[in-house]
Amino acid sequence: MTQTFYLLRNKAVPDIDRIEVYEANQGYQALRKALKEYEPKALVEMVKASGLRGRGGAGFPTGMKWSFLPDDGRPRYLVVNSDEAEPGTFKDRELIEKNPHLLIEGMIISSYATGAREAYIYCRGEFLFGSEQLKRAVAEAYQRGYLGENILDSGFSLDIKVYRGAGAYICGEESALLESLEGKRGNPRLKPPFPAVAGLYGMPTVVNNVETICNLPPLVENGPEWYRSMGTEKSPGLKIMSVSGHVNRPGNYEIPLATPLRTLIEEYAGGVKGGRQVKAVIPGGSSVPVMTRDQLDTPLDYESILAAGSMLGSGGCIVIDDQTCMVAVSARLLKFYREESCGKCTPCREGTFWMTDVLERMEAGEGTQRDLDLIRDMADNIAGKCFCPLGDAALGVVVSAMKYFPDEFEAHVTEHTCPMGARLYDTVNH
Amino acid sequence: MIRLTIDDREITVPEGTMVVDAAQELGIDVPIYCYHQALGPLGACRICLVQVEKMPKLVTACTTAVQEGMVVHTRGAAVDKGRQGVLEFLLINHPLDCPVCDKGGECFLQDYTFQYGSAAGRYDEPKIHKLKDAAINEFIIIDQERCVLCQRCVRFMGEYVGEEQLLLEGRGVETVVSTVGHQAMDSQFSGNVIDLCPVGALLSIPYRYKARPWNLEREESVCPHCPVGCTTSVTSREGHVIRVEGRPIPGHNWGWLCDRGRFGYDFGYVEDRLLNAWIDGEMTSAAESTRTIGSWLNDTLEQHGRDSVAFLVGGQQTMEEAYQIRRFADEVVGTSKVAVSRSVKGYLPTGLNGTFEDLDRADTIVYLGQDPYDAVPVVHLKVRDRHLDNPGLKVIGVGAYDLTRSTVPGDAFVIEPGEEAAFLAYALAKVAASDPIIARLGAELGDFSPTFKGSTSEQDVERLGHQLLESEHLVLLWDGKDPHVESVLLALRGLREDVTAVLPTFGPSNWRGFERAGIAVDYDRLEAIVEEAIQGKIHLLFSIGADLLRDYPDRERAKAALAAIDRVVSVGLFFPEQRELYHAVVPGAGWSEVDGTYTNMEGRMQVAKATVQPPGQSRPVRTYLGSWAHALKKSFVLEPEWDPFDNNAGDLIASVVLPEVRSVPRPARPAMKDGALRLVGTALVMENGMPSEILQPRMPRYPGRISLADARRLGIGEPGGELGLRGQQGVISVMVAVDERIPQGVLVLPYGVVGSPLNQLGDGAVVEAVSLEEVSLR
Amino acid sequence: MKPEWELWAQEAKAEFPKANSALLPLLHRIQSEEHYLSEDTIRDVAVLLKLPVPYVESVASFYSLYYKNPVGKRIIHVCVGLSCALNGSDELMHHLEGKLGIQEGQTTPDGEVSLLEAECLAACNLAPVAQVNLRFVGPVTEDTADQLLTGEVKS
Repeated sequence: MTQTFYLLRNKAVPDIDRIEVYEANQGYQALRKALKEYEPKALVEMVKASGLRGRGGAGFPTGMKWSFLPDDGRPRYLVVNSDEAEPGTFKDRELIEKNPHLLIEGMIISSYATGAREAYIYCRGEFLFGSEQLKRAVAEAYQRGYLGENILDSGFSLDIKVYRGAGAYICGEESALLESLEGKRGNPRLKPPFPAVAGLYGMPTVVNNVETICNLPPLVENGPEWYRSMGTEKSPGLKIMSVSGHVNRPGNYEIPLATPLRTLIEEYAGGVKGGRQVKAVIPGGSSVPVMTRDQLDTPLDYESILAAGSMLGSGGCIVIDDQTCMVAVSARLLKFYREESCGKCTPCREGTFWMTDVLERMEAGEGTQRDLDLIRDMADNIAGKCFCPLGDAALGVVVSAMKYFPDEFEAHVTEHTCPMGARLYDTVNH
Repeated sequence: MIRLTIDDREITVPEGTMVVDAAQELGIDVPIYCYHQALGPLGACRICLVQVEKMPKLVTACTTAVQEGMVVHTRGAAVDKGRQGVLEFLLINHPLDCPVCDKGGECFLQDYTFQYGSAAGRYDEPKIHKLKDAAINEFIIIDQERCVLCQRCVRFMGEYVGEEQLLLEGRGVETVVSTVGHQAMDSQFSGNVIDLCPVGALLSIPYRYKARPWNLEREESVCPHCPVGCTTSVTSREGHVIRVEGRPIPGHNWGWLCDRGRFGYDFGYVEDRLLNAWIDGEMTSAAESTRTIGSWLNDTLEQHGRDSVAFLVGGQQTMEEAYQIRRFADEVVGTSKVAVSRSVKGYLPTGLNGTFEDLDRADTIVYLGQDPYDAVPVVHLKVRDRHLDNPGLKVIGVGAYDLTRSTVPGDAFVIEPGEEAAFLAYALAKVAASDPIIARLGAELGDFSPTFKGSTSEQDVERLGHQLLESEHLVLLWDGKDPHVESVLLALRGLREDVTAVLPTFGPSNWRGFERAGIAVDYDRLEAIVEEAIQGKIHLLFSIGADLLRDYPDRERAKAALAAIDRVVSVGLFFPEQRELYHAVVPGAGWSEVDGTYTNMEGRMQVAKATVQPPGQSRPVRTYLGSWAHALKKSFVLEPEWDPFDNNAGDLIASVVLPEVRSVPRPARPAMKDGALRLVGTALVMENGMPSEILQPRMPRYPGRISLADARRLGIGEPGGELGLRGQQGVISVMVAVDERIPQGVLVLPYGVVGSPLNQLGDGAVVEAVSLEEVSLR
Repeated sequence: MKPEWELWAQEAKAEFPKANSALLPLLHRIQSEEHYLSEDTIRDVAVLLKLPVPYVESVASFYSLYYKNPVGKRIIHVCVGLSCALNGSDELMHHLEGKLGIQEGQTTPDGEVSLLEAECLAACNLAPVAQVNLRFVGPVTEDTADQLLTGEVKS
């Protein structure tokens, strides 16, 4: 397996989080190039041409998002979403902890391109170390003239501030993130208006994921053609996949898009622990439907995964082995959404609560045949009826698990016991 | 305009209209919990799901703006299933205790469940338990388990009123509506959350367990407590008023009420309510009192002539009653001596009178003399509404203390008490000195250089002058105390090209109605009756719904006047103060007991229906008038009834024409003594007029307000204390608290209130303040 | 109110175009000293930032890392997200409960240690992972679990 890494290229360099080491490893060269050789509009065009899509989960084309900013003279903000909390996803944490300057360089380039003079990094509250790393790196970048007034004599100026949330998954939703950044409860906002028109403090705002922004330096260095040389027409470029669960080498792996799922699990992550078999894979963070062993040859790109009934999402790939109970998996994930529902809208608030109860009861052997219909019906009453995507996200795994593993759910209510022997955990202990 | 189709019917509505409102216009009812037009879309409850053609999912009608050619279906299998699902979710953690819930029968959770819900629940898990039956203030109880988290109450208080007294606490399914630190809500507008709550989570404590919606009666009414004239709906059961709710008039008002108006409905049933007639201190029958009073009237007319009889009226009765009193005075007695006991010195020329629509269009609003929040609370809310609508709204307070408050920020000009006219003229002269109108004002006001306090500079005053002259839609809210303000208002109208509207914040609630019915609210008439009484020229006084000792600015003079009259007859709901000054007291009927019409501060006429019978022997005034006429063997025929709404009938008195220059001299500024306080009177609606046991806990313990500096000097701490004021009758005690808006040397006191010695000492008087410890040492 | 809070509030406010944005940073900073946010603290913060008290209370109650009640000096968060659960986080939690003699959500009677559940901590490669005062430790085995209780934790 010989591969040149870009996003994780400096993973093995000791002290790459220090600016002099980062600089010694081509750091801030892309920024110099961007400021010197490109007009902001040309950079936006380059990002459009590269086909880069948002790596936070939704996969929206980044260049297009940038071009939604109205040209009306109001101040603009770039906000980087580092509220990484989607179960199974841990790529952004590694990027900010290990190589914070890559993000900062990407932010300066992105701000220059979008015309932002102030940029924020919103870290989730639990990323204490990550936010410290970023704060330190930002201070270093100021010292070296990469931030502040007239960066590298380009006439462009930028301030970056690091902001730490305080524990709320919903703040990963971009409008909730902006609310939180404004010092409010992290309730999602009504859209329209979208952040591009009325975002932070009501001003035009671009919200991008950490990994998305980290693509900027290699993209500027190597150009859009290079980027398009990887992946597919609709999913060009690179993606970091976070692999966890029952694998021998859990971790972050940078892949060219369209790498088969099997390669990721078996080659990169060292295969399933204990020589067991894959039962199911959640390929894109806990909000997406599961895939099964039969689908392991699916290429990891947005359209192929979609065709296979799931989504690439955030790239948080959770591998589940064949001795694991899917009812327990579903129950655990529902509990997550119950805990993290902001409580604003009815179906999400009450639906995740109820569904968690029913799944936990089923896993404990106290389910009935009626519960199966109830869960399907509840899912129908939540799907597409919530204020924000969290409610739908809660359904991905449970609905697909019931579809692919109906016997397992059935057995819970007919045998009143878990056929897998509840190896995962004892759900009733709550 | 946007054209769309809803349930196969076409409608054209303005751009930006939400689908739910467009449907409403067609009379199509889309269920809602969280949405409220005044609060804007939220999208939380999800009950208003509708189907829009070409949209993949159901959408919420409250967050979806209309689009050209949109085709909406508000019913159908998918929609009904969606709503059923939402209702089921709302009910899983709901206690399902309708049989013991006051909201039962008028609950949107119940109604929609009947309409869309399923017959049986599928929820078998344990419910989440939350706080139940907890009072969030004296009037309101919360049941968090019944709450559907629509946030209407929280948003109303925080976003709309601007007083964040309710909050969402916690997250997810554990979220609750709560008060901060479980402290009582003390907003003047707290009761509105009861009307706003679509379910039984926020309920009225006074109404608690009183009735079921199907065994009570509801009538349309108007609030009688202040001149705003809020439209209400009055609930009664078995002859008792048991609830007042706001009654929204689409396109005109939202139905908000202040707590005074909402909960102060029990004056009809308080212990002090007069149920019998009293003659010379003895209880007697209604018939006996009628004969006696009739004979007094007969004797007085015979012995002293018709000009020896006078009438004082309170100004809170209906227009029809005012009309009856005036006809009685005219036709039966033949006297022109009729005055309103709560007349103020200022008078508003009809031509300047603005409406609430002016507030909706204003770009500049000026408070003159008093803070509308205190006197006419719902007007404050209307100003706040305008402020939310137009953040560029300029609000300016001109008075003896800072009249602005944080909910509607503005510029405060703090001036010498009672010098509003001079100050405004001064500001105008800075920008239009050469105008002859200003010259005339100067001639009237004399001294043109008022002092202003605090950080106000000459530049600030000049800016004010520009704002007064150059604003596009100017509204002034005037307290009517400084009569010279009239001249300034007239001058403003002469100087300005754009709209100038004035809303009087003074007077009894129906004073405008009295004017239309033929009784002038003119301070000079009141003064004339008092003066003639003292001179012994009045031998019989009918005091109808009035209480001179409370209403008149000089209590000693009022006492002297009453004491000098041979016979004083009171008709009212209560004994007047110092009942020994009255020879007959007969029980009257009031609001909710008689049908009638009220005219509010805008000049808008509104009908209040009677809902209950007058208690005991109390009778409407027309009954008394008729029988007294009968005792004189005179006929008093009121047929055909006068119709206040008949435009041909017109106003029964000509509107007062004011001279361009007032002949009344401006009072000299009293000399301030070291350590003394200048008294400034203000209206406080919470303490205004009729007694109420329900409101009792909310009555301020400290009606007086002083500056922090004076409080420190006089040893008044938190939350307040007792202060002695040295007057002619010795030291009078008053309870005062600190208000940071008040400048040093000023004591603000409400008028017309027991415990406020304002009319013993005199509004504007300089009095020596002593700490009571000092007094007791002597 | 501690005298330095005023300075902290000034510093937090200076960083953002609107004062409201200073709220979360200021709460973090004060809580790191006080360990939790008492009603008095909430009031003080409201005064310092000129925000309504209910607003501050409502915001603080939304986020799981602000504590309304006293917590231990050492806060152990055990991640119970799916990846950690697949790797034994529940067993780890039980182990710690046994060692400390308290249940999840509780604080030891001496006020030293609080044991809390965390939803996915975005460190699934370290599953089962825990945080001690927000510093990551993982993967935690039964053998290394004791480090959570006493050891020094850096990152």
